Amino acid sequence: MLKFIIRRVGAAIGILFGASLLLYVLVINSGDPLEDLRESNAENREYLIQQRIEFMNLDVPWYQRYWDWLAGVGKCFALQCDLGTNRSGVSVDSLLALAASSTLRLVLLATVLALIIGIAIGILTAIRQYSGLDYGVTFATFLFFSLPVFWAAVLLKEYMAIGYNDWLRDPDFTLGQILVIAAIAGFLMQVFLAGSLRRRILTFAVTAVFIGAALPTLLALGYFREPRLGYVGVALLTFAVALSATAMSVGLKTRKVLYPALITAALVSVLQIVLVNVFVYYMNWWIMAAGLALAFVIPWFIGHSMGGRYKGTAAGVSMTTGVVGAGLTVLDHFFRSWPGFLDLKPRPISTIGSQTPNFAGGFWETALDYGTQLILPTILLTVISLASYSRYTRASMLEVSRQDYIRTARSKGLPERTVIFRHAFRNALIPIATIAAFDFAALIGGAVITETVFGWKGMGELFITGLDQVDPAPVMAFFLVTGTAAILFNLLADIFYAILDPRIRV
Amino acid sequence: MNSKSSPDTGHERRGEPALGFTDLDVRFATEFGGVHAVKGLSLEVARGEVVALVGESGSGKSVTSTAAMGLLPENATVAGEARVGGIDVVGLDPEKVRRMRATKIAMIFQEPMTALNPVLSIERQMTEALELHDLAYGQDATARAVELLRLVGIPDPERRIKQYPHQFSGGQRQRIVIAMAISCEPEVIIADEPTTALDVTVQADILDLLRRLKDDLDVGILLITHNMGVVADLADRVAVMFRGRLVETGTVDDVLNRPEHPYTRKLLESVPKLSHVDLHEAYSDAPEDPFRDLVLEANNLVLEYEMRGKRFRAVEDVSFSVGRQEILGVVGESGSGKSTIAKAVLGLLPIASGTLAVRGRDLAKLRPREAKEVRRKIGVVFQDPAASLNPRFPIGDCIIEPMVIHKEGDRKSRMERAQELLDAVRLPRDVVNRYPHELSGGQRQRVSIARALTLQPELLIADEPTSALDVSVQAAVLEMIKELQAQYEFACLFVSHDLAVVDMLADHVVVMKDGHAVERGSTNYVLHHPQNDYTRRLLAAAPVPEPGEQRERREARRELLGQP
Amino acid sequence: MSIDKNMNTPGSGDVYSLAEAEDAALLAKDTQSLSQGQLVRRRFVAHKGAMISLGVLVFITLFAYTSVGFAGVPGWWGKSYLDAATTVDGGRPTLSLIPQWLGGSGIAWGDHPFGQENTGKDYFALVMRGTQKSIIIGVVVGIVATAIGAIIGAVAGYFRGWVDSILMRLTDLFIVIPLLVLAAVLGQMAGNLGGSIITLAVVLGLVTWTGLARLVRGEVLSLREREFVSAAQAMGAGSGRIIFKHLLPNTIGVIVVNATFAIASAILLESSLSFLGFGVQPPESSLGLLISQYQNAFTNRPWLFWWPGMIILAIALSVNFIGDGLRDAFDPRQSRKHKRGLFGLTKAKG
Repeated sequence: MLKFIIRRVGAAIGILFGASLLLYVLVINSGDPLEDLRESNAENREYLIQQRIEFMNLDVPWYQRYWDWLAGVGKCFALQCDLGTNRSGVSVDSLLALAASSTLRLVLLATVLALIIGIAIGILTAIRQYSGLDYGVTFATFLFFSLPVFWAAVLLKEYMAIGYNDWLRDPDFTLGQILVIAAIAGFLMQVFLAGSLRRRILTFAVTAVFIGAALPTLLALGYFREPRLGYVGVALLTFAVALSATAMSVGLKTRKVLYPALITAALVSVLQIVLVNVFVYYMNWWIMAAGLALAFVIPWFIGHSMGGRYKGTAAGVSMTTGVVGAGLTVLDHFFRSWPGFLDLKPRPISTIGSQTPNFAGGFWETALDYGTQLILPTILLTVISLASYSRYTRASMLEVSRQDYIRTARSKGLPERTVIFRHAFRNALIPIATIAAFDFAALIGGAVITETVFGWKGMGELFITGLDQVDPAPVMAFFLVTGTAAILFNLLADIFYAILDPRIRV
Repeated sequence: MNSKSSPDTGHERRGEPALGFTDLDVRFATEFGGVHAVKGLSLEVARGEVVALVGESGSGKSVTSTAAMGLLPENATVAGEARVGGIDVVGLDPEKVRRMRATKIAMIFQEPMTALNPVLSIERQMTEALELHDLAYGQDATARAVELLRLVGIPDPERRIKQYPHQFSGGQRQRIVIAMAISCEPEVIIADEPTTALDVTVQADILDLLRRLKDDLDVGILLITHNMGVVADLADRVAVMFRGRLVETGTVDDVLNRPEHPYTRKLLESVPKLSHVDLHEAYSDAPEDPFRDLVLEANNLVLEYEMRGKRFRAVEDVSFSVGRQEILGVVGESGSGKSTIAKAVLGLLPIASGTLAVRGRDLAKLRPREAKEVRRKIGVVFQDPAASLNPRFPIGDCIIEPMVIHKEGDRKSRMERAQELLDAVRLPRDVVNRYPHELSGGQRQRVSIARALTLQPELLIADEPTSALDVSVQAAVLEMIKELQAQYEFACLFVSHDLAVVDMLADHVVVMKDGHAVERGSTNYVLHHPQNDYTRRLLAAAPVPEPGEQRERREARRELLGQP
Repeated sequence: MSIDKNMNTPGSGDVYSLAEAEDAALLAKDTQSLSQGQLVRRRFVAHKGAMISLGVLVFITLFAYTSVGFAGVPGWWGKSYLDAATTVDGGRPTLSLIPQWLGGSGIAWGDHPFGQENTGKDYFALVMRGTQKSIIIGVVVGIVATAIGAIIGAVAGYFRGWVDSILMRLTDLFIVIPLLVLAAVLGQMAGNLGGSIITLAVVLGLVTWTGLARLVRGEVLSLREREFVSAAQAMGAGSGRIIFKHLLPNTIGVIVVNATFAIASAILLESSLSFLGFGVQPPESSLGLLISQYQNAFTNRPWLFWWPGMIILAIALSVNFIGDGLRDAFDPRQSRKHKRGLFGLTKAKG
């Protein structure tokens, strides 16, 4: 196993080296770096040309320049990277540090979201092959496949940012709008839940009436400018999660699962009140991460110790309750900060940049600012890559479902849920791991365009300017980061692959 | 109802049978119209009884069993009754049928290699059924599973239960599948071709296991098979199916020894038989004539595979010779290296050492151009009729391909030759424009034979040419090879795992085991008076389609293996 | 127990073994026989989405090429994409599709159906010119990438060993460099070399073959273990014959399906490059370039933004749907007629 990984890393470094050489040669030959100066009428033209030749080392042969660049990269192993200077003599290292963090944040978030949502949709459409839902999702995926990224980005900016900001100034729905929204929600819900015609009609009616009643209520309460859950809201919802998770897994009669879930819910309800000062005054990302970890560990412990023969299920249900409860508490605090945030930033969803310049706010406001800046590019990238993951998952699930061991599982009398998740899904994930790794590099391409449209000063900007000016150092810096990320992702996929498939592991 | 079942089958009936079908009728809707798979079938299986459901491809025997499990695909329409423990599962709430699986009715499948989930441990796969049906949990379930594995004969079950399917051999996997099937103490087990994918010695062990379990657990078994030897070995009663209908039922003795229906008779006639095997007496073979007209000769042949940089020796120090108009049978179990020899003769594998000569020319020392010349003299028929013809070539192009490769004749003379050959294999001439997928397995295999004979070869390599075919189709193909050999006078290297087929066809036999030739000589010597222990075990394990004789052979095998 | 002694088998009454029954069936079959290609065609025609898409694609292509003309041949649309003119009515489009009896202004084409851009150039001509470019790019890239990918994949899969290693490392190289980056660098190079649209298309084809190469290699690796390949080798067929006669024709499904997806993604890639400024350069027109130039005009003159985007979407969507139809046609296991759900599938044999 270790040998396998070491061999892969070795091959990866070799490929990275080869690719860097190829790209370097292509970039320096892609045009004339002095073009703008040659055509300029500046008085000190000769001096400027001379200066640029010096900055870019144009007077030395290409292999020398590549070697210098490589030597600089080599210093990274001693933690003293030297990625060269751009044509104006600015060190690329400093440019990269700023750019890389925002780009990688965007790409990683989008990848993770796309994987989770895409795989979920893929499974659902595979189970309901050739249903209305399947056809609908298939059409949507093809639409997303065929969407020019930049074009969709402009549409998002127009409707989701500008439109929403305008609307939020004075939130209102006309009666017609409410009816249409309720009807659409009801329609989608019945497609999603499926069942007999009677059940579908019932689902539609219940959902439509609920939405139709909820929207005016929320408007009347001013919920869109001042949303809140409150202690009671969080507690009620957490208990509801505990009950429904139990009902869905083993049924409410199984006390050994129900009790730990209820205890977890009670714990969440108490802690959200006890810890309110921590949330309001002392919050930071470390506390957030630690809290999330505890939200997993404590319920697991409760479930495991009380569950008896159902300890696995009990731990799972309790963890779900704990994590959702903690999430609701955090959401509640975001809601509390929303009005204050709107005072600081009256048009919340912005279309330019990765953060609002000179933004002064507390933890919650800053987090909201990051979130609102990130939301549109993330939606865009997620939607685009989600399409392919859901198709792969669907195809892979259908392929696996034809295997003999699925028939064996069914002949043991296992319920469909177990057949799908324990037997089919794990096998279906194996090819998806590889595909996800390959798609990562493509997603970086998508990120370049997304950043351009949303005006982020990220890696895309570095690359585009560099290439436009036939300036290899920034382009190579971009490649170094994305190439390494792609290879790391591939490696991760290999490891994941080995974990999933015992035929590789043992 | 003129059923021949009689009360003397040895098992009293206790009310409701474990499994019963009444007028079962199954239809499928497919892309090319409807298929009527099962037409009004009635059959019963009592506890402690083995009923064999026999038939060839497309007879509907697997569909019948799948209907009892409630696992038919959605495009199936089912009518009639399929009762499991007295409850009719046709049209029953799927949730209720699901709870009956494993507890009332369980199933053993044909392919042990793919029947287990590769990513889950054996423990997980065995305990989940126990936990699901509320029989045992956690440690108890694992302990129960270990017991079951011990019962089916997996050595060291405490350790091995933690392992994954790929760490077990095919026979062991089938034992695990059987352990799963009996884990929830069902009333009836459906065994769908449980030994077809296994070697003959492993098959005998699995059949012994099933016989023991049925008596110990008092469980009924519906045995689905096409192998009459397996039927004779295990079944109490037999039901014969043909094209969705039951044509004959009765005790195993009646049906196999005194068949009434013409189809049953034809089927039994088609089964190649291996009789008069003497497992004990010493016997010496007449020597081969060294002055024969030799076509193929191997001396101290060694063949190696390369697997991920590691060399793996598949054939070690094997010698044999085939003369003109002779058939040499190469027999052995999977992994014995028998097909590797065929590959080497075909030039698909390099020769590591020793000599392999066709008409005196050593294949290892030939230059490419000469090798191509030698290959003109060799024809080949492979095992899988679905894969041995290029699906994008019309039949005519398939047959004339050797002529195209060796640039012989023009289009017109080639097509004439193709039609001659089609006549020789008794296929209508107009199939030249058909595509392989339109032909049945046996017909495709006949096209393969025609292709092999296109250039009038001196040597025919037949690598398990009939093992994927049904019995009656196999009989026709074997008959054809015999006839064509008389006509074209080629020498033949016939590789097979089926001793009876080799007995019927071959003049000389080589028995392979783990890459070594353990016994070699005339067919009469090797297959009827074997001297080598392994050959004896192999012969003892091969079942014959006659219940009385098979019982004797079973005893003889036990004696040979030193079992009580 | 029911026993049927007087059953009739198809063909004649005295046929009783399976072997005889099969031969009887072969003789009785009507002479109409379908090759795999015919079966595929039949299934494709039955795929509604793909057929509609094919119609849309043919319509767009004919419209784009006949309207403004190509290769010096004038089209039926009089205006050129290069001529500036005075802007009429703020450059608003004159196309109207709502009939008068529905309260619209009647179905009319007008002088500038898609409106005019800043300098008064006819936007319809510009968009049609751009559409032509997109279609050329898609087709050329599709051909180049498919040819390279299929051959490299087949060679790597057939020979295995060191040939495979070298070719696959080569494809890895292309996968590590994000496609858009490589395409942008090469696009810039092609642009500076004063290359035509064909040069750009060929260059894009040179970098987009990797996916197909991997797929074909995978297919070939499993195909070469099939016995008809062994049989051909045993007959003495050379590598060339085996690759081109036996292996590649049997991967035609994968190749054709992938070629359509390659066309769709090439069209999107070109528009992305032109959007970033590394593809088609003005005054030549391209759909991506048009969107890039007028993305800020969205609020005031949305038609400048909508038309090129909608046409890219329509082309890419219909090409993708055609690909989907082809996949269904080549892989009947997923055929819609069977109506088999994921969890209603059992192999019914015997």
